Amino acid sequence: MKKTIFASVLTVSALAFAGCGSDDAVNTAGEDGNFEPSKTIEMVAPAGSGGGWDTTAREVARVFGETEIIDENMTVINREGGGGAIGWAYVHGKEGDAHSMFVASPPLMFVPLNGQSEHGHEDFTPLANMIADYGAFAVREDSEFEDLNDLFDQMKDDPESITVIGTSAPGSMDHMQFVRIAKAAGVDPTKIKYVSDQEGGALTAVLNGSVDVFSTGVGETIEQVRAGNIKVLGVTAEERMEGEVLSEFPTAIEQGIDESFVNWRGFFGPPGMDEAAVDYYEAKFQELSESEEFAEVREKYGWTEMYMGSEEYSEFLEGEKEEIAALLEEIGLGQ
Amino acid sequence: MDAFQGLLTGFQVALSLEGIMFVLIGVIVGTLIGMMPGLGPISAIAIMIPITYGMDPAPALVMMAGVYYGAVFGGSTSSILLNAPGISGTVATAFDGYPMAQQGKAGKALAIAAISSFVGGTVSVVLLMLLAPALSSVAISFGPPAYFALMFMGLTAISSLSEGSTIKAMIAAVAGFMVVTIGIDPQTGTQRFTFGNVNLFDGFDFLIIALGLFAVAEVCMLILNRKNRSLSDDQKLGSLKLSKADLKEMSGPVSRQSFVGFLLGVLPGAGATIASFISYIFEKRIAKNPGEFGKGAIKGLAAPESSNNAATSGAFVPLLSLGIPGSGTTAVMLGAFLVLGVQPGPLLMTDRPEIFWGIIASMYLGNVFLLILNLPLIPYLAKILSIPRPLLISLVIMFSLIGVYSISFNVFDLYMLLVFGALGFAMRIFSFPAPPFILAFILGGMMEQAFRQSMTISNGSLSIFVDSPLPLSLLLIALISLLVPAFLKWRSNRLAYKQR
Repeated sequence: MKKTIFASVLTVSALAFAGCGSDDAVNTAGEDGNFEPSKTIEMVAPAGSGGGWDTTAREVARVFGETEIIDENMTVINREGGGGAIGWAYVHGKEGDAHSMFVASPPLMFVPLNGQSEHGHEDFTPLANMIADYGAFAVREDSEFEDLNDLFDQMKDDPESITVIGTSAPGSMDHMQFVRIAKAAGVDPTKIKYVSDQEGGALTAVLNGSVDVFSTGVGETIEQVRAGNIKVLGVTAEERMEGEVLSEFPTAIEQGIDESFVNWRGFFGPPGMDEAAVDYYEAKFQELSESEEFAEVREKYGWTEMYMGSEEYSEFLEGEKEEIAALLEEIGLGQ
Repeated sequence: MDAFQGLLTGFQVALSLEGIMFVLIGVIVGTLIGMMPGLGPISAIAIMIPITYGMDPAPALVMMAGVYYGAVFGGSTSSILLNAPGISGTVATAFDGYPMAQQGKAGKALAIAAISSFVGGTVSVVLLMLLAPALSSVAISFGPPAYFALMFMGLTAISSLSEGSTIKAMIAAVAGFMVVTIGIDPQTGTQRFTFGNVNLFDGFDFLIIALGLFAVAEVCMLILNRKNRSLSDDQKLGSLKLSKADLKEMSGPVSRQSFVGFLLGVLPGAGATIASFISYIFEKRIAKNPGEFGKGAIKGLAAPESSNNAATSGAFVPLLSLGIPGSGTTAVMLGAFLVLGVQPGPLLMTDRPEIFWGIIASMYLGNVFLLILNLPLIPYLAKILSIPRPLLISLVIMFSLIGVYSISFNVFDLYMLLVFGALGFAMRIFSFPAPPFILAFILGGMMEQAFRQSMTISNGSLSIFVDSPLPLSLLLIALISLLVPAFLKWRSNRLAYKQR
């Protein structure tokens, strides 16, 4: 029993620690217009441990600390739920807090467009984009399809014969990246059959032939391609990617389909963050992005460098949002 | 490299001083966290991930694996002693484990659980070692129609989980189905029964339901029965020793269910929870005296305990050999791999044999450590029951709240725990059984998704379930398991009628 009590005390204190750093919003921007963080910076991953957001947040926080680009501590906290909506609502409530930020990617756009979050990217302060990831469309190694045009031709003839599977819900990333490229190739976007498997069965369903196409991130395909289980018909990048296996994947553009999709990943502050603080973080993220240590991280996970400062980021997001909203409208998922 | 050579490499990793130390740390942390109600392997692994930063991947992953199966090993403790399962895989453990503890056989129950866990864990490591490469094809053989059929087969168990009124069991199951539909529907992205409340978008975590219906409801019953002293007087540790007859009774279920659990663990999405339920039902169906199940049957405790531990090792098959996380817990494990720069998948065995085989080899060691650690702890653990009632009740409530809060750090979930506690209490008072509710909640969500995925793939034709042999045979098994007991009952009724 003693051990149980001891362990429970440990847990309670661990939980108490996890709760720290979320205290009152303090704006420490100096009168002279310069900003320096004065306490621990809270980095929110609006998802559970182990996923893409969590990994990005933890790696960024770790490299910030190790390179001492930012001297203050950075702690990652997980606010899981609602596909991100819970975490966003949490950060949204910290208006003006210059010691809080969160990691984001296209779901910050998809989820509100699907009517599942009150808060979208325009409700937050964009700090910087850091990396780009791309989508891949894969089929089983022995599939009759050799490239995207084979697949899309078949879909134009007989849309019911092809099922696409992905991990995200309809109207979110895995679905919409496929719709976007397929539409550009001339496939009727309203006739695409998409199923979602959020329990990790998507790859399985492709491997055993239950479905035809796996729409996912490029990183998820590398090992399976190397093992000769699947082949990648095309990726959503603008240009050929670099890397051992990655450089073998043809882009959609190369195959005559003039469309791309980037899974951007960057950082946002709460609404109304002080301009001096935005300038500060923007510069720090740039320094991080250019550091050797972060280059190693990118290589480890197969990410592409894609730094954008606050303003550029915001313009990029506006353009993306317009396009996605129109596409969602077209397939009947727009809100 | 053949498996034998690979295993030798693995043992070199596992039996090095560093390897032994990290296995030990892993299983100790895992088993301690697992013992606490509400805290399971997911929390345990998540807590440990930051610790592994910068560590050498092989010992780090050996440790993380130890945390994982250690937490499942230790998870039975709170189910047995407090009726407060810490993880979904030990819900079925409470069915007979808790009644046993109530009858003053807490020590025996814990010993049975530890030994069953040990055997289940060890048998499945042997299977993992021999079959991991071959089994990866089994892991991918299940498409949506086969999953639907598997879940359907599991559901036929509702009738055998009910004591007394079948109608009440069915009502409880339907309620479980209804609750699992709350949230955003994965196939359409539509919100169902969320009332626009963002906290309900993901539906309810299993733990909220399990702790509400079992732990909180039990606490309410204890408060209600506080005048009934006879309950606590009998609650002594009891003898730890298992008689020869006990061991003999265990041997059947343990040896069978170690295999069943392992095979179900191999299937992505099935995992320890479904394995433990199916094993429980399996043993109840073939038992000579099924009436004892639910009242403290040794078989009813040994079956799920060997099965959930076997399934835990089984879950490493798709994770290591395919890179597919089959459950929430293995998804977090996958994250731990990636943080260390190791990509699990079909090439892990050839690229990083020391990691692949190191983890497998360390599991032998880990299971032995767990048994050695857990058996001497039993007398101390069982003393939890002699804590004065008011204190015990407060502790259970506190741990349940901590466990639920640690899922997503959301206060809303705590209110929901109380709501389900109240529901569970009401169900107890009006004698609606909780297990069918839980089973429907676990299987219902996956079953619905698999059904609708199948329908999309087949363009709405039901023939997809009978066109291929795998789903067809699973559905036939389900049908047989429904019809045979009904037929036997009908025959015995008729015989009884004739004799009159």
